[in-house]
Amino acid sequence: MAIVQRPAIYEGTRIPSPIPTILEVPEELLASDDILTVNFGPNHPSTHGVLRLVVDLDGEKVVGLRAVIGYLHTGFEKSMESKTWWKGITFPERIDYVSFQNNEYVFVAAIEKLLGIEVPPKATWMRTLLCELNRIHSHLIWLGTSGLELGAISMFWFAFREREMILDLFELVTGYRMHTRYFQAGGLAEDIPRGFWPECRRFVERMPNAVDEYEAILDRNEIWMERTQGIGLLSAADAIALGQTGPVLRASGVDWDLRKQQPYLAYEDVRFDVPVYPNGDVYDRYRVHMDEMRQSTRIVAQCLDRLERMEGEPWIADDRKVVLPPRHELHTSMESLIHHFKIVTEGYRVPEGEVYVAIESPRGELGCYVVSDGGPKPWRVKFRAPGFAALEATATCMSDAYVADMIAIVGSLDTVMGEVDR
Amino acid sequence: MAVNGGRPKRLRDYGLKSERVLWPGKGPSAFEQELGDLESRLGLTTLEKAVAWAQTKSMWPDTFGLACCAIEMMAIVSSRYDIARFGMEAFRSSPRQADLLIVSGRVAHKMAAPLRQIYDQMLEPKWVIAMGACASSGGMFNNYTTLQGVDKIVAVDIYVPGCPPRPEALMEGIIRLHERVQAGIPPAYEVRGVAS
Amino acid sequence: MSLEAVPGLVETKEAYGETTLVVDPARLLEACTYLRDEEGFDMLVDLTAVDYLGWASKGVAGYIGTASGRDINRPSTQGLQALPAPKPKRFAVNYHLLAIRRGAPRVRVQVWVDDGEPVSSVVGIWPTADWHEREQFDLMGIPFEGHPNMTRIIMDDDWEGYPLRKDYPIGGEPVRFSSAE
Repeated sequence: MAIVQRPAIYEGTRIPSPIPTILEVPEELLASDDILTVNFGPNHPSTHGVLRLVVDLDGEKVVGLRAVIGYLHTGFEKSMESKTWWKGITFPERIDYVSFQNNEYVFVAAIEKLLGIEVPPKATWMRTLLCELNRIHSHLIWLGTSGLELGAISMFWFAFREREMILDLFELVTGYRMHTRYFQAGGLAEDIPRGFWPECRRFVERMPNAVDEYEAILDRNEIWMERTQGIGLLSAADAIALGQTGPVLRASGVDWDLRKQQPYLAYEDVRFDVPVYPNGDVYDRYRVHMDEMRQSTRIVAQCLDRLERMEGEPWIADDRKVVLPPRHELHTSMESLIHHFKIVTEGYRVPEGEVYVAIESPRGELGCYVVSDGGPKPWRVKFRAPGFAALEATATCMSDAYVADMIAIVGSLDTVMGEVDR
Repeated sequence: MAVNGGRPKRLRDYGLKSERVLWPGKGPSAFEQELGDLESRLGLTTLEKAVAWAQTKSMWPDTFGLACCAIEMMAIVSSRYDIARFGMEAFRSSPRQADLLIVSGRVAHKMAAPLRQIYDQMLEPKWVIAMGACASSGGMFNNYTTLQGVDKIVAVDIYVPGCPPRPEALMEGIIRLHERVQAGIPPAYEVRGVAS
Repeated sequence: MSLEAVPGLVETKEAYGETTLVVDPARLLEACTYLRDEEGFDMLVDLTAVDYLGWASKGVAGYIGTASGRDINRPSTQGLQALPAPKPKRFAVNYHLLAIRRGAPRVRVQVWVDDGEPVSSVVGIWPTADWHEREQFDLMGIPFEGHPNMTRIIMDDDWEGYPLRKDYPIGGEPVRFSSAE
């Protein structure tokens, strides 16, 4: 039985050829000498980071488009080859700096898959909760900046108000607002502090009302609808051919969410819906983001219910070859001291092999391919960034679009340049 | 009133005189009084102090958010940390209209040329805040592609540490910059040359 | 899933719940077309190249001592797990494929090439491979034959060298400590 619906938004395919990611100016227009080439340089007010678009315009219409990336290349993959597994967990967070704990999680999940280590349920549920809070955080930033770019400037302040509540929760649990470095191979770095449950409950009660407020501003706003409906069309077949996942794919009518299709963490035990919209335009992607925020709040509430009953349970696996021993043991046990020393200086060793782990980050399928040589440092780490694939779809979405739609389309693809360039 | 042979008319041709001529016994205006207060408090000349005060109270930043620090820079624009109380919420997209360049995020070698170009397009006086560990020194990325500190290509006034720095930390950096400006310390490019 | 009928199949490896099909580079396009059309792997999720220069000479041993690890009776390993087996060639190009249907079946196609040996480009099969192949060419130096736009994407256009190779230095600056004066 087919689980995916694939409506035909337009006939055939709009993927440009021969190069699928570059929109080429047609011959007759080139000859007419009426084309203006504009450079939307790496520094522009659209806050998606350092993306450069070289655009050919015929009046207001975009007839040629080429994206240039690489302005934020930080050499993550090479740097991680020279750090131990444990110390390397700080790096993936900075790749997709808007939903940082999802990146942490995918790397830690790859390590745990290679190690074959069992994670205690408290850690699994807390990780689910934090990953969903990250999803809401990412969607809030997306909403704020997209609204800002399209002219709904006050959306920025509305969205960031709830974002501050989420960051307060992160600070309460992990000690830092962003780039929290809370996940370890085997569980969580520290126990969940007391006082977290009522704070998180307050947030869960607040969030649906906040989403109501955002929808009240934008949902039936005439300008918003004019600027986003029917813009940036991407059919399901084109989306799959271009490797799109996440909200872009779901807005094109394909019912695909890795949390349901390939459940990881505790997603099998929580009830939530996956929003799918058929029209494949910017407005549908906006609606997918809004509905996902509501569903994520539902998941957080269910995780809270479960976690409140797990007070006092272990938060990390008991395997002393991988996990640091508790500090009080270092005073009495020689073996603990040796384990601590070996893990901190040399690092634990991960068996030889290669794995690919994929999770559903707020942008789509975030994958981590890890090759281990059996030693304390990874041999190769590659992150499959959903934003990288999303930017490849820019040329297809921009087929007969106007300059004013370009920002809306690039914004709706929800890319973060940190993960595109790595 | 009178035709003056093709020259443009001056005020006196209209019979107007400046207020000092009209009212010779007039005391100092409110603005002059405020400047006098400033002069008695600080040690600069009146005009320099006035100029420094004006520069501080509306130092408009340029939108130069690169990576994670940009998200915290956006947080200080948001209502909790509210940079608008310093007059700085107007982030200018054009560097020609900006006074302050907050380099927030890691700078790849590919991005170094656009960064320098934007710095050059800013008009004097201009200040630079290197926000975060990556802008100050390359951060945790000591490799082939990350510029080890933007002070290699631009002159930096304030370094704000953190990864990413809290919005309060960036605010402290901005306030210290304001204090420097009001104390009369010239911008970094006059002190250090183009780059250190 | 009858993955034995993939054209050009050299070997099938199963590990950690994942299937890896090692395919002859000369028949890569046939294999990929077969996988997309017959087996239904309609999405290319990831394309990764790995440089195994210096692999067998590392002498690094495996996982010391957990339930799945240690065998103190295995000779010449000092109780440590097996040393990594040498790899057939220097570079492995991995294609991670996903089928958008119930069960989310995934498969990894792996081809082995030497330095400079070209790999056929799969842009005609999955258009998303465009940027992935450019990135691997840019960072690892693997030439993809038949790619319409084989230029650098991440590094500067005039960059020399391929940064992610094992013989390319990590770069950066040596760190000076203030107490070392």
